[in-house]
Amino acid sequence: MANDREVLREIWDGKLPICFHLAQEEIMEIQQPDPFYVMVPRLSYFPLVIDKMKRHFLRFISQENSDSEMWLDFNGQPLKWHYPIGFLYDLYCGNDPQLPWTLTVHFTKFPEDILLHCPNKDVVEAHYMSTVKEADVLKHRGQVMSTMQKKDHNQLWLGLQNDKFDQFWAINRRLMESHGDNDGFKHIPLRIYTDDGVYNQRLVCPKNTDNSRKTLQQMISELYPEKSNVNLRTHGVIIPPETPLQWLSEHLSYPDNFLHLCLC
Amino acid sequence: MSANSLLFSINNEGKVYALSTNGSCWREFMYLGLEFKALSAVPHFLWAVGGDRQIYLHVHGLEIPIRVKEESYENERWLPMEGFSGRLLPTDRYHFSSQDGTKDRSIDHIRLPSMAWQWEGPWQLELTLDGQPLDHDGWTYAVDFPAQFGPAKQWKSCVRRRKWIRYRKFSAMNSWCAIAPLHKDPTQEPFIDISIGGNQMPYASPGTLVVWAITAQGRVMNRTGVSTTSPEGLKWINISIPPNCDIKQISVGPTGLVWGLLWTGRTIVRKGVTKDCPTGDSWLEVKPPQDTKLICISVGYNVVWAVSSDSRVWFRKGVEGNNSGTSESAAMGNGWLEITGNMIHVSVGINDQVFAIGEFDKCIYWRCGITAAELTGKKWKKIQANMQLSRTSSSASVVSSSSNTKHHSLTTLSETEPEKKTNLHLRNSWEESHSAPIEHTLPVKPQRQSRPRSQINTEKIDLTGKSYETTLKNPRAWSPVRSVGSVVGMEAQPDSDSSVFDVDSGMLFDDEISQTAWGSCETTWSYVEAGACLVDTVQIPHWFTDSHKVQNSDITAGWRIQILDYLRNRNKNQSLDFSDYGIAVEDKGWTRSCEARLVQANNSTEECIISLYWFDLENTGTLSVFQPDGTIKFILNLEELTSLTSVFVSSEPGCPRIVLAVPRQTECSIKIQFMTEFEQEEWLKMLIDIISQINGVTGKPSANSVWAITNAGDILNWDPLPAKLSNKKDGMYKKEFPVFGKNILSGYSTSLHNNFPPGSILKIVGCLFDEVQRFYIDFTGPEVKKQRHKIETEVSEIPFHFNVRFDEKIVVCNTKIFGSWGTEERHELPLAVGQEFNIEIYCHAQAFSVIINNKSYCIYEHRLNPESITSVTIQGPLKLYSMEYCTTSVIIGADEMFWRLMGGHLRRVECCEADVVWGISHDHRAWVYTGGWGGGMFQGISSNTGIHAMTDTHTYCVYENQRWNPLTGYTSAGLPTDRYMWSDITGKHKRTREHTKLLNRHWHWISEWMIDYNTPGGVDNDGWQYATDFPAPYHGKKLFTDCVRRRRWYRKAQINTEGPWIRAGNTALLDISLWAKGDEVSVWAVTVPGDAIYRTGVTPSTPTGNHWEHIDSPQLLMAISTCNNVVWTIGRKGELYHREGISVENPGGTTWKLIEPPKSNLYSHKTTGAKVISLATTVAWVVMSNGAVAVRTQISKEQPGGKEWRYITDSEISFKHISSVHKDVWGVSTDGTLQRRLGVTADNPAGSSWQRVLTGAAVYTSARGGSLC
Repeated sequence: MANDREVLREIWDGKLPICFHLAQEEIMEIQQPDPFYVMVPRLSYFPLVIDKMKRHFLRFISQENSDSEMWLDFNGQPLKWHYPIGFLYDLYCGNDPQLPWTLTVHFTKFPEDILLHCPNKDVVEAHYMSTVKEADVLKHRGQVMSTMQKKDHNQLWLGLQNDKFDQFWAINRRLMESHGDNDGFKHIPLRIYTDDGVYNQRLVCPKNTDNSRKTLQQMISELYPEKSNVNLRTHGVIIPPETPLQWLSEHLSYPDNFLHLCLC
Repeated sequence: MSANSLLFSINNEGKVYALSTNGSCWREFMYLGLEFKALSAVPHFLWAVGGDRQIYLHVHGLEIPIRVKEESYENERWLPMEGFSGRLLPTDRYHFSSQDGTKDRSIDHIRLPSMAWQWEGPWQLELTLDGQPLDHDGWTYAVDFPAQFGPAKQWKSCVRRRKWIRYRKFSAMNSWCAIAPLHKDPTQEPFIDISIGGNQMPYASPGTLVVWAITAQGRVMNRTGVSTTSPEGLKWINISIPPNCDIKQISVGPTGLVWGLLWTGRTIVRKGVTKDCPTGDSWLEVKPPQDTKLICISVGYNVVWAVSSDSRVWFRKGVEGNNSGTSESAAMGNGWLEITGNMIHVSVGINDQVFAIGEFDKCIYWRCGITAAELTGKKWKKIQANMQLSRTSSSASVVSSSSNTKHHSLTTLSETEPEKKTNLHLRNSWEESHSAPIEHTLPVKPQRQSRPRSQINTEKIDLTGKSYETTLKNPRAWSPVRSVGSVVGMEAQPDSDSSVFDVDSGMLFDDEISQTAWGSCETTWSYVEAGACLVDTVQIPHWFTDSHKVQNSDITAGWRIQILDYLRNRNKNQSLDFSDYGIAVEDKGWTRSCEARLVQANNSTEECIISLYWFDLENTGTLSVFQPDGTIKFILNLEELTSLTSVFVSSEPGCPRIVLAVPRQTECSIKIQFMTEFEQEEWLKMLIDIISQINGVTGKPSANSVWAITNAGDILNWDPLPAKLSNKKDGMYKKEFPVFGKNILSGYSTSLHNNFPPGSILKIVGCLFDEVQRFYIDFTGPEVKKQRHKIETEVSEIPFHFNVRFDEKIVVCNTKIFGSWGTEERHELPLAVGQEFNIEIYCHAQAFSVIINNKSYCIYEHRLNPESITSVTIQGPLKLYSMEYCTTSVIIGADEMFWRLMGGHLRRVECCEADVVWGISHDHRAWVYTGGWGGGMFQGISSNTGIHAMTDTHTYCVYENQRWNPLTGYTSAGLPTDRYMWSDITGKHKRTREHTKLLNRHWHWISEWMIDYNTPGGVDNDGWQYATDFPAPYHGKKLFTDCVRRRRWYRKAQINTEGPWIRAGNTALLDISLWAKGDEVSVWAVTVPGDAIYRTGVTPSTPTGNHWEHIDSPQLLMAISTCNNVVWTIGRKGELYHREGISVENPGGTTWKLIEPPKSNLYSHKTTGAKVISLATTVAWVVMSNGAVAVRTQISKEQPGGKEWRYITDSEISFKHISSVHKDVWGVSTDGTLQRRLGVTADNPAGSSWQRVLTGAAVYTSARGGSLC
């Protein structure tokens, strides 16, 4: 059970200062637009937090582009909107933190081969819900999600969208419960990413064969027997290797119920 | 949190160990010097077969001694010449007889049943009759014997009788007690097996127990007369078994069902075991599973488990404990089912939980996943608990003391250094429980409390040391035992023995030491007995490696602290200020609405839509109620809401409602009915969450809180601390009254919640109209009754009347006492018409001083005590801008009290000024508040600490009524004027079994409808009680004149919830009272059987205390209250007693003294019984059986009985509960309204009037935290 409210709250309240610049080639006005500064929840997704920023930049771009889809890049690397913001930061700036995080805003030249299209927030919701479902299949063979009602799913999504911790956790706690004899999850939903954004998703049990709790270190040595010194970062922090996986999954998962860990 | 219970087992050395469900270590159960072969237990009673093949009994863990009252009536007849004498007529009863006169009860022939019993004192006379005191000889008089006896001797009184009483006590508590052997020579017919059960036999009276045993000659013996009040029973009787049956093992289930196992591997079952015939009537045979021989069986409530010789485990399907006495198939079951696992021994515990010993590792396993629906469970789980090294092995002798190391025993001195250290640390937990077989020890209670502390240590050590030596010198001198009930082994200090009965202190030792002291579980076990073991399947004990214990330690684990630390410092590494960054997600309030029904006063409902709006940043919210067409009915500001409860109107469960109290808007509360329980719970949770945030209350309330219980068992708490802090200024408390715009012309009156004692100030700012002629300010006191011309009128005292008369150009000050004005004091006019003004009135010790427009104006000396002022009235043609009231203590009106739901389910709650809160649930168990908040349906909104699982049980009763008619006998066809044939106890309400519904989805039935054979008044074999007509006294035997009969059916329901409460002690309680002085908290309670007890060692840091001390009382009690070392109780007949001689040294006091009973009201001469008592420092508030309230004044330590009764005459409200301390007096009136007494002062301890605080459904309140201090 995810019952360590102190940690949950700290994770939930994690925010990133971001500075958005409009890409030079987009600017159609003589006057240079001011950069747009904003504090963004680490757990959220870009399409949910950029409405104000978009309005800010719209009057500086050509009218014919105003309806086209906006996308972001960091140092020339297009950012995938379907990953949580905090994870994207850890992936690209984790080793070399620079705040505020400076991102460039584009309205043209959508990189079709890299990014998925995101016409509206419903797409984000659909993607989000499917990820939660996938996580639940790993954790409880999908039993929790299937017993939830539609309004519970809604509450989960609205809680995330409106940054309401209690609203979100009222439902999410059910997803974080262990079933059966308190043995923990079936498997831990986690993805381990290398620097280039490629991830590795394996079936990981929260327990060792002798029924003791598996720690992060034990998982690392199972997955990377050849590497000696592996650190994993999530939510901007390096996880101590002795942390039990079950606890990690319950408390440090993103709202999509996955642990997104970056190798470093 | 379940209570502590014990799992017993025997290791391969024959030593008995116990594992507590609250602990995690095996502790050796008192070693007797002999090994044990077999055990059988129910809670508190452990029977065993010793290595000498004799039967031993161990009674343990009872907080209340087992006492039996012996009674004998001394009868005398009046004879001419001699007067009253013991010479009776030949047709009369015995000189000393039982109450009905049929038995000879000569007091010199009433003997102790065995050596295990002791008399508590000599024979005593009972000096009261139905609560009325008798003269010193205790005689009661009557015309002839079978008649009504009265206290007064009359001319026609021909006989008299008096009652002698004497208590005997079971003194072999916490010790092994030998049961007499069958023959003079104990070796002639030794025993081979023993089994106890029957503690849940259907319909049997509480306390019934059944014991069966097998002798080496193969005879089956039943012990008669065993019960919780007679633990050793009376004698063995032989029960014949079918020929060719060689019996080996026997097992009795909690329902009394008996299975026997034969040497051939077959089993026999006893048929017809019922409450009337606990030995059953014949044996039936049950075939073992095919091709196997059974070697061990154990009977549970609805199960039988067995192990066969090839170590396979078998489960018997179809056994039903409730019907096992009447149905053969329910007793025998209908088939064996193999369960995986290889075991050599199996034992079924409470709730059909199963424990077994593994074949290969000889470890004990628990079958997890057993529920009432799935009796076979899921899998075996190994119990891995640490092991206390044997106390009797030479490697760990513990007769040592850290305070005086010279007292080490010889064995300790020879030990190595680390082991010695161990002993020192373990001393506290071991020394007291040190056991030694002593032949002549009697249970002398240690005189610890009465001795100076310095002597205690030496005393204690001598005692244990000596007894220890006795063992060494002469280890077998006491054995075997020849007489019944010999006490063969005693705990050195039975009352304070902490060995196996407390939560083990294993966690207190640091790791290194615990390594040496607690061996890991290498022991091989040979026997396990679970009959007394209650495993909570929700919160399983810390016996398994993957239990909660590991996870709780996560909070302090290094990696967690590291992660938290990293997280907090994430953005701090950069020295940038992000405070002017915009927020990405616009923070808005959120709304939520749903369809519901609004409940009107006449219980009709109308459709509506409720909508909640909440904006957490601004801390504001509204609750709007719309009509279905969208027009607004009303909008509530959530800040004005003061209480929120879920109330289920008892006549119609299944109507989930929320009741909102908004005293600033309406008098009555607003009831909203929801479509489903889920919706109701969700809204309740949401509203509580929001309102707690608005009011800024989270976590633990302060010690001064007022607690209350609603009729749904919800616990409410009002904490005065936030209000105290917010209206405090310069040491004064200030309240502004909303006067702006009020019509003063017709008079504005408001109550002064704290009266107007010296130090109080009233400030008024306003503007006079041009046409003003007069205006006045009245400080009004309580209403008094005045008789004039035989007509009673109610008049108010006016201690201070300030009247400004522009027409007479003068100011008049006066006082109205008892309806008439005194001498006027006149002053010059300080004000002009049409002017703004500002008046301040100060109350000083001697006089009022009035300051007008910042200039001192006049002084008015007190003629009445200003503390009696309860309200202020202003009347005149003027406009008020503000009115401010300041006093030295906190001012809180009822409309400002926010009542918070605390979580849990209780019947009573009691608090005191030292932050200790106890509660009693409906099933009479005691609970202590842990300091948390939430649980149950409020999961997730509150603290997680201190929330424990909680259960409570309700018993529903319906009465079946029948009337006799000459043709058909008794039928359910009554007369048209009769009560309902299925009714409640009064007969006025129809109640049927089929229509009895549970309150909500958290309740579930735990029994079927059963006939109650223990209805007061006695019943016949079918549970009927007879009477001549409805409402009449009922009796159990049918008489010729009886025309009606009734019987009671009951069914039990249980709620599973969570709350910030933890169990304290196993004793069932009826009433409890707490009082704190500094860190010492005295806790007195009345047990369900009616004994007075007090708790030792209760402090704010250890709110559960240590254990109960029992106080002998001649009468059965029902209520208790304590304050300032004074204790009052109420007997079952409503009589009041106080306890003499209570002091710090002797907290138990010496004797009970009867208190003069109060009258039923001021004008009556009849006295009435009391039902509720609450003691304050100098007064006692008593609610009488008619609901009226009386106050006993001038109680002090010197005069603990008080001096005189005063009666509350200002109102007709009748009460069901009252709670008082200092000047705080709170009551619950019969209609469920919470009331507060105003105007309580030192001079007027009875107060002046009741103030309604919370309308609704309260049943209990405790204001003993001193909310106004």
